[in-house]
Amino acid sequence: MADKGNDPAVIWQRMIGELEKGFNSFANQAMGTPEFSRLMNQAGGVAAGAQKQFVELMEKYLVSMNLPSRAQLVGMAERLQSIEGQLNEIKALLNQMNRSAGNAESATASKPRPPRTKRPPAEKAQK
Amino acid sequence: MNSPSMDASLGIDAASIAERIQSEVQRAIQRSIKGVEYLSTSGPALGSTPKDVLASRGTMQLYHYRPLADEIYRVPVLIVMATTNRGYILDMVPGQSFIEFLLKRGYDVYMLDWTAPKPEEKNLRMEDYVLDFIPDCVRRVQQDSGETDVSVIGYCFGGVLSLLYGSIFHDGPMKNLICFTTPIDFREMTLFSNFADRRYFDVDRLIDSVGNMPPEMILSSFEMLRPASRAASQVQLWDNIWNDEFVKSYRMFDRWATDTLPLAGDYFRTITKDLMWDNKLYNDAMSVGGCAAKLANVKVPILHAVAEHDHIVPYEAARHLIAKVGSTDKEEVVLKGGHVSLVAGANAIKRLWPKLDSWLGMRST
Repeated sequence: MADKGNDPAVIWQRMIGELEKGFNSFANQAMGTPEFSRLMNQAGGVAAGAQKQFVELMEKYLVSMNLPSRAQLVGMAERLQSIEGQLNEIKALLNQMNRSAGNAESATASKPRPPRTKRPPAEKAQK
Repeated sequence: MNSPSMDASLGIDAASIAERIQSEVQRAIQRSIKGVEYLSTSGPALGSTPKDVLASRGTMQLYHYRPLADEIYRVPVLIVMATTNRGYILDMVPGQSFIEFLLKRGYDVYMLDWTAPKPEEKNLRMEDYVLDFIPDCVRRVQQDSGETDVSVIGYCFGGVLSLLYGSIFHDGPMKNLICFTTPIDFREMTLFSNFADRRYFDVDRLIDSVGNMPPEMILSSFEMLRPASRAASQVQLWDNIWNDEFVKSYRMFDRWATDTLPLAGDYFRTITKDLMWDNKLYNDAMSVGGCAAKLANVKVPILHAVAEHDHIVPYEAARHLIAKVGSTDKEEVVLKGGHVSLVAGANAIKRLWPKLDSWLGMRST
């Protein structure tokens, strides 16, 4: 059987692993400097600023096209979300009522829960 | 041409070379077939353990998993997920699901999971998470289970939220607390600290511009911790694409890792200012909504599981937790593995899960 050290596939995988480790460690050193932080945040700030301007421009465009504004859509989404939340509350309440009434119709809501009597195995072994 | 003896001295023989070439040719063919398959199919279904939604309110989702044992422990368990990631990391596929493991071991499991906060939720603050969402879920768990006591498990930043909750609501009803890879000393998260250097990082300007912290930025900052690893993992995937198990596992973890959630803007401001800049949790100066949140106030039994090779939350950032809490029943376990492999995957099945079961079982009656 060929020695693992001579296996090209193993050599390749080892090489990839070493390259990865080496590059990560080199990059981590560079990224740990204040200079990196300054440059990264400068670039990030410019991108965020550009994005903000773009969003404002888009909003103006939508208004001129007589399309609903973002604020209106957000308002509608909020209302829908609140209705959805209330429906969930009602559903949970109905499930609870169903359970306490012992209704066998609903498979999930009325399925009896297992008893809360379990003891840890170590304690059982002692007994 | 080398003589057979020379070949032997190099540790090579003709038969094994032929065998090796044949196997490589077969793998190359398999790679082409499986490569096409990979592109045309989706990964395995994740997070499929049966559950019911108990409550859904904006970004907050509370699930109850349906019991899988005939007899369960008295104290229910509430898992608090990290706000940056989806909860299905703890419920990958049958046989590799922490949730399924807990259910089969007789725990009654609930999970506080998060959905992406919507633009209109940008004003959610730390107070909303610690003083509203978690207490609300605990109350619902009490109501649903009929029990007063609740054990809490927090993963990563979910651990920080659970600690803040536990330090403010120290008179109960939290009975036990388990934290996975939970950072306390944010100075020790050296790269994140440098990225968020207060001299150069204008968090207010960023959040005022974008509303919620975009998931792409969060993902990039995670990936920058190991910038070569994504490319290397793709090379590894190609090497192993003939191996169905490898591909399945790769797809599960890759999908989860890239499925990052945005963070609510004001909440992110607090994380940056109070935790990253002022290290308030470590310095006992943290408060949430005017309530002091000192770690010494946490007095319940606590287990902290940390990973030896965690590059996201280095051990140095997590190690002070056990020393700083006020509990007398406290334990730290340092296990082999990284930030994710500690809680999910083959290593977790062997190491963390059984340890957690034996610790929690004794405290859940």
